[in-house]
Amino acid sequence: MVEDAALRSWPTLQGLARDFEQRHGVQVKLVDLGGAAGTKDKLKFLLAGDVPLDLARIDVTELAAYLADGALVDLQFYFDADADWRAGEWFTGPLDACRDRAGRLVGLPSTFTPYVMYVNRSLLARDGIELPQPGWTWADMERIARAATRDLDGDGRIDARDQWGISITQWLQALAPWVWQAGADFLDDNGEHATLDSPQFVEVLTFLHRLLHVDRVASNDATFASQMEQGLFQAGRCALYGPVGYWETYRFASLPFDWDVVPLPRHRHEATAVAMSVYVVPRTAREPELAYQFLREVLGGEAYQRRMAEIGNGVPGLVSAARSSAFLDPNRQPASEHVFLDVLRSARFLPPSANWGKLESVVQAELEGVLLSGSLDPAAAARAMDQKADEHLARVHARAARPRLSRAALPLSIALALLAFAAVARTRAPRGGAGLRSEARAARWMLLPWAIGFIAFLLAPMAVSLTLSFTEWSPLRPLSDARFAGLDNWQRLASDPTFATSLRATALYVVCAVPLQLAAAFALALLLRRGGRGTGVARTLCYVPAIVSPVIVAAVWRGLLRESDGPVNRFLGGLGIEGPGWLTDPAWVVPSFVVLSVWTCGAQMLVFLAALQSVDSTLEDAARVDGAGAWARTRYIIVPALAPVILFNLLTGAIAAAQVFAQPYVMTGGGPGDASRFLVLYLYEAGFRHLEFGYASALAWVLALLLAALALALLLFARRYVPHAFGAAGARGGRV
Amino acid sequence: MRARTLTLVLVAALFGFPLALLLDLSLHPEGTGLARPTRALLMDAAFENYAEALRRMGDFPRLFANTMVITTLSIAGQLFVCSFAGFAFARLSFRGRDALFLAVLTTMLVPDHVASVPRFLLFRSLGLVDTWYPLILPTVLGGAPFFIFLFRQAFASLGDELGEAARMDGASPLRAYWHVFLPLVRPMLGTVAIFTFLATWNDFWAPLLYVMSPEKRTLTLALAGFSRTFSTSVEHLMAASAVVLAPCLIVYFLAQNVFLRAVRVAAKKS
Repeated sequence: MVEDAALRSWPTLQGLARDFEQRHGVQVKLVDLGGAAGTKDKLKFLLAGDVPLDLARIDVTELAAYLADGALVDLQFYFDADADWRAGEWFTGPLDACRDRAGRLVGLPSTFTPYVMYVNRSLLARDGIELPQPGWTWADMERIARAATRDLDGDGRIDARDQWGISITQWLQALAPWVWQAGADFLDDNGEHATLDSPQFVEVLTFLHRLLHVDRVASNDATFASQMEQGLFQAGRCALYGPVGYWETYRFASLPFDWDVVPLPRHRHEATAVAMSVYVVPRTAREPELAYQFLREVLGGEAYQRRMAEIGNGVPGLVSAARSSAFLDPNRQPASEHVFLDVLRSARFLPPSANWGKLESVVQAELEGVLLSGSLDPAAAARAMDQKADEHLARVHARAARPRLSRAALPLSIALALLAFAAVARTRAPRGGAGLRSEARAARWMLLPWAIGFIAFLLAPMAVSLTLSFTEWSPLRPLSDARFAGLDNWQRLASDPTFATSLRATALYVVCAVPLQLAAAFALALLLRRGGRGTGVARTLCYVPAIVSPVIVAAVWRGLLRESDGPVNRFLGGLGIEGPGWLTDPAWVVPSFVVLSVWTCGAQMLVFLAALQSVDSTLEDAARVDGAGAWARTRYIIVPALAPVILFNLLTGAIAAAQVFAQPYVMTGGGPGDASRFLVLYLYEAGFRHLEFGYASALAWVLALLLAALALALLLFARRYVPHAFGAAGARGGRV
Repeated sequence: MRARTLTLVLVAALFGFPLALLLDLSLHPEGTGLARPTRALLMDAAFENYAEALRRMGDFPRLFANTMVITTLSIAGQLFVCSFAGFAFARLSFRGRDALFLAVLTTMLVPDHVASVPRFLLFRSLGLVDTWYPLILPTVLGGAPFFIFLFRQAFASLGDELGEAARMDGASPLRAYWHVFLPLVRPMLGTVAIFTFLATWNDFWAPLLYVMSPEKRTLTLALAGFSRTFSTSVEHLMAASAVVLAPCLIVYFLAQNVFLRAVRVAAKKS
């Protein structure tokens, strides 16, 4: 089974797995999936990649997506045959959330946690503000938040250095309590239409928008808090924090002030949402029966569930474990731990009728526009969200009606690719003759490895990719279940606002980064051309950034560009300029990546430097004697001499820039909004996070076509300036 | 001249600063980070950050060995495949030569990602997801049109007499390649080796998609996971980064001259 070893339950799980091995005479391999992509994405790659896997833990909001693709084993059969199974030992809500739409169990709850509100009691007592009382309302919350907001540094505005009333979390699940309290919902009962434009839903957005951006008593720092930053609540400068779950109690255990948890405030109704992970058996399981036994004996066993409660992983799904002292530990903060159990009566789950991860990404831009940046009008945004969600749902429901893709389609496209290659390879030999037969034979062998790679990893995949772009297919399903979708993916590209934003961001990045990179590299090369004291060191310093892994570049620059205390903004501050939120302001995030790209221009610089050394120096000297200045010499001698190299750098630079991935992936994850969701990042998300292989293929082809057009334009343009434009092959080689 | 020196210093400082910051942060005691002045380092540089960062990254010797193995195999394969192809294009005459070479040049303009989805299907149908093959094979086989181009230029620049002499001695094209021509393009071998080293060592996309098991992970992947973990402090992250970066720097310094010379050759040719 796969788990995340960073979880504190890992050692316990290991121990229990060893017991299980002895009892059943089998081997249990626990695989740590905590890693770069996060456990969620990695698990998808495993399942999509057909790697056998017997047990996995998934987020309950992802259950629907896996079920829709038939990726999970129906466990009801095993539960029915299990004499010891008593559903009554489990919390009803969480257990029912592990059922498919037909009510059959497909998993068991791990731990779960209802969303509650954290309160800094010390702060409220110090400032003489009332504590939240049982049954408190939105109005009470607003009053407390208003009273607790203080302009600490007296600069006339509330910012990151001041004291805030409340810090509001903003992901979809955290939004759900407000929505349900207002009497609204995300989808209708069948999950076929979105209800995001209902007056109650707009009311929720308006309320939160007002607290965050009009009255400025609420902070959205929780969204930005990375490992680099301590949240406002932890810093003791925020009275309320929520809606969040149990997981924060562990992080807050050693805070130097008195804090506690209270139920969320109510509005028309009392309601909260529940975060939960579910243990499931994937369809790729080799031993589903043993997996079920492990699920029942170990993961659903009293010992493990108690242990999970003890270490504070959340509320265990087993009622007995949750009511034991393992969970309600009086020696542990928060004092009101029972709140997590009390609120269960008004707790709800996001229904299993939709792929919530996908839905969240569909409406994310508008949601962030209202809550994070505050730039969108709540009512208009709600309408836009509703429309986008409806389009998504309609697409999902249209799937069943689509015809299956012909089995011959993919082999046919591969065959076409092979045919194309063969046609190219059979073209006439140079200089009329076929050469020596032994030579031709040797050439065939020497080109074979390249040809295999070229066909297997580029040509055939490109053809397959083109075919897939006309299909709708999730790799969790068998290939025979791929549906023919006609031009739908391409039409969707034309109307997908995220794609439009992504395309704009990528174009802006390429257009800014490539010329700047080139100019910087050229200037540096001119500067560092002649030797002299310190030139070697300077060369090295300028080149080294180019060999630094993009992941490291991202880590360092995230620190450099921090809004509140990053060195860049502190430097600007010293000059009396207020630095922008480089990575948090949609207008500044692409320019930030441009700065990064200029920093890594070393490779281009090196190519220029090398080319400069082959420029005929007598020509330059002659020009100098004739009285040509430095500018004239550069313009009329160096630039023409370097024209082919400039073109080369331009082309390779543009192609690399258009495919930027690792840096935005690590630094911003595409945010804020979609502002840095560059094309390849969007392709990654569409293809490998949401498993829409058809749509991702269309995206890939658009990228390729756009780049081809760009390259062609550059080459045509360059023909006028570069004598032998790079790429015009036909150069004669020698002969053996 | 004064102005030039000043510019030089300024530029060097500008470009060097981020890495200096990396080093600086990596030596501050955990949790003090950006707030602590650098001069405090003189008193107590926290070298223990490095040990702690390595411990938290997982099984560091293993990660290092994995990355080494993948990189070495990629380099070896790439050298062979690209020099073979370059040699054939430069010195042998056969049907389809110019058209195929044009195909090589064109692939330089094709974004790799156009093939990423079907590649995943390919490796899945071969049962190779969660192995190192997807990390090595595409790099080795046909993954580097630019290097084929470089080798072709290098081989083509060697005079015709060499080939004639080899043929007189009755050497087959393969023998001529191995005994006569390959030793003469040694700088190019060095360049391609270094570029492949850097590209593979720093690769993020392929490990991200294809490597799941902890015992198969690479350094970059572990580092990216590290930087996303909630509890990681910036000091440890920077220490880990410095460790992952170090081999690249070492290779660069060791090979600096080979590097510059070969790039010069390449620039002349392009």
